[in-house]
Amino acid sequence: MNNSLKSSVPTDREVILGILNNSEDTLNKLYKAYYAMVLQFILNNNGDEDDAKDVYQEGIIILYNKIKAGNFELSSKLKTYIYSVCRRIWLKKLSLNSKKAGNITDYEDVFAVEEDVENHEEKDASFAKMQSALDHLGEPCKTIIQDFYIHNLSMQDICEKFGYTNTDNAKTQKYKCLQRLKKIFFQP
Amino acid sequence: MRNDLELDAIIEDYLLGKLNAQEMEAFEQLRLNDATVDHKVVSHKFFLASMDTFAEQLRLKEQLNHIHSEIDVEGLASTLRPHPSRVVQLWRKHKSAIAVAASFVVLSLVSIYSIQHSTQQAERYRQLSNKVNNAIKTQNSLIRNIKHNNATSDKPSTQNSFGGTGFAISTNGYILTNLHIINGADSLYVQNSKGESFKVKSIYTDPQNDIAILKINDKHFSNLSSIPYTIKRNTSNIGEIVYTLGYPKDDAVLGEGYVSSKNGFIGDTTQYQVAISVNPGNSGGPVLDNNGNLVGIISGKPDQTEGAAFAIKSKYILEAMRAIPQDSLGTNKLSANKKSLLSGLKRTKQIEKIQDYVFMIKAY
Repeated sequence: MNNSLKSSVPTDREVILGILNNSEDTLNKLYKAYYAMVLQFILNNNGDEDDAKDVYQEGIIILYNKIKAGNFELSSKLKTYIYSVCRRIWLKKLSLNSKKAGNITDYEDVFAVEEDVENHEEKDASFAKMQSALDHLGEPCKTIIQDFYIHNLSMQDICEKFGYTNTDNAKTQKYKCLQRLKKIFFQP
Repeated sequence: MRNDLELDAIIEDYLLGKLNAQEMEAFEQLRLNDATVDHKVVSHKFFLASMDTFAEQLRLKEQLNHIHSEIDVEGLASTLRPHPSRVVQLWRKHKSAIAVAASFVVLSLVSIYSIQHSTQQAERYRQLSNKVNNAIKTQNSLIRNIKHNNATSDKPSTQNSFGGTGFAISTNGYILTNLHIINGADSLYVQNSKGESFKVKSIYTDPQNDIAILKINDKHFSNLSSIPYTIKRNTSNIGEIVYTLGYPKDDAVLGEGYVSSKNGFIGDTTQYQVAISVNPGNSGGPVLDNNGNLVGIISGKPDQTEGAAFAIKSKYILEAMRAIPQDSLGTNKLSANKKSLLSGLKRTKQIEKIQDYVFMIKAY
């Protein structure tokens, strides 16, 4: 397993071009390429597999967004970048949970990525807000909104799915839901 | 309420660009006129953007989860989990450092080896006794046994072998040569320029300076006339013309050159380096200067350098001679005090005079 993971490590250039072109295959390769590294780091520093998954996915998302935003300058190897980001995230989590970080066992070089991680946290906070707004919305509004905005279903599909007599009814329902959602979302 | 919903629908269509040109213009007018509407548009725009990124994020997460499910997390985790053994932990932690250290060690070993190897190559020392002899020596006990059984002659047959060169240091049959020629041999003979062989025996050896003194022990030997050459006391200067007579083959061979360095093999101060081309068999040959003073004894040459040889300095000849009982050498011995009989002679005359005093050493 380990070997097969390593054998498919894409080059850094491939990854950046692939992500810019929305290549799922590249994302797949990227994810598999460095997962073991982060898993090892987390497992050896007071974490378990689930922590590793969360941290690693967050790290990948940060990298992904950074590349997508177009301001990613490859000043180091991607591997080092991912490792540094994941390390930073994990250290923060450890201190948040007031777990003792103790001696951190490192496996790779590290460089400063505080800014990227903090940017991400801000974004994450707004996502959390949206998520909680959605959660407060209740059914069927939540599903309708999700289907329309997140899963990109057409009004026609939604109409059929929820058994509305016509699309206009569905539309009205959607806008009602949307209004409530906005209200919750914009609540201070 | 109803109006609000319609307004929302229009705003969204407007933001998504779904309105036709006419509606667009009307709506923009409305936006300009009504601040509330404008505010709603802006906030909805922001909301939509948030929703968009949120949706994108969720989709990405889903994708990642999907990829994640393809990974054998359990298997990986079990190999990567902190190992109970400290050694394995250390190894994992410092894998790269260990690799670097190991390659460094290998590299330095290789370079040390190559340095040693190259110096060895440059400075290997070849002793000039004839190599053939080693093989012959090992077989010699057999040969001698046969001879003794036959007991036909007390003169050894002049067989194939010749070992090196030696020269007389006294008229009564003391001969000086290199120790490495006779080392390990069980019987020794010398042969003069006329082809007569005499049995000799080793009297004194000096392993440090590679010097041996032999004594002719043969009833056929008659004393030589007085030794023509003398020992040079002072060290010779670089550039001094010197020559040697030796037996690299069955006849005496003259080699001429000059002192090229005051020290010998890797700075060995007991030797000179001389620029004379010598061959196996030259070992033990006397090195003389133009005035017939003994400057040294040929003993070896550097393996890689052509035309150079090493010669043991003459003062060690004196030392060796002092080490044996003085009266045994007789009155007519090699000394440093007399005037050389060769002084002022032409080279050909000099050779003529010394060739009776230079012997081929044969070791069996």
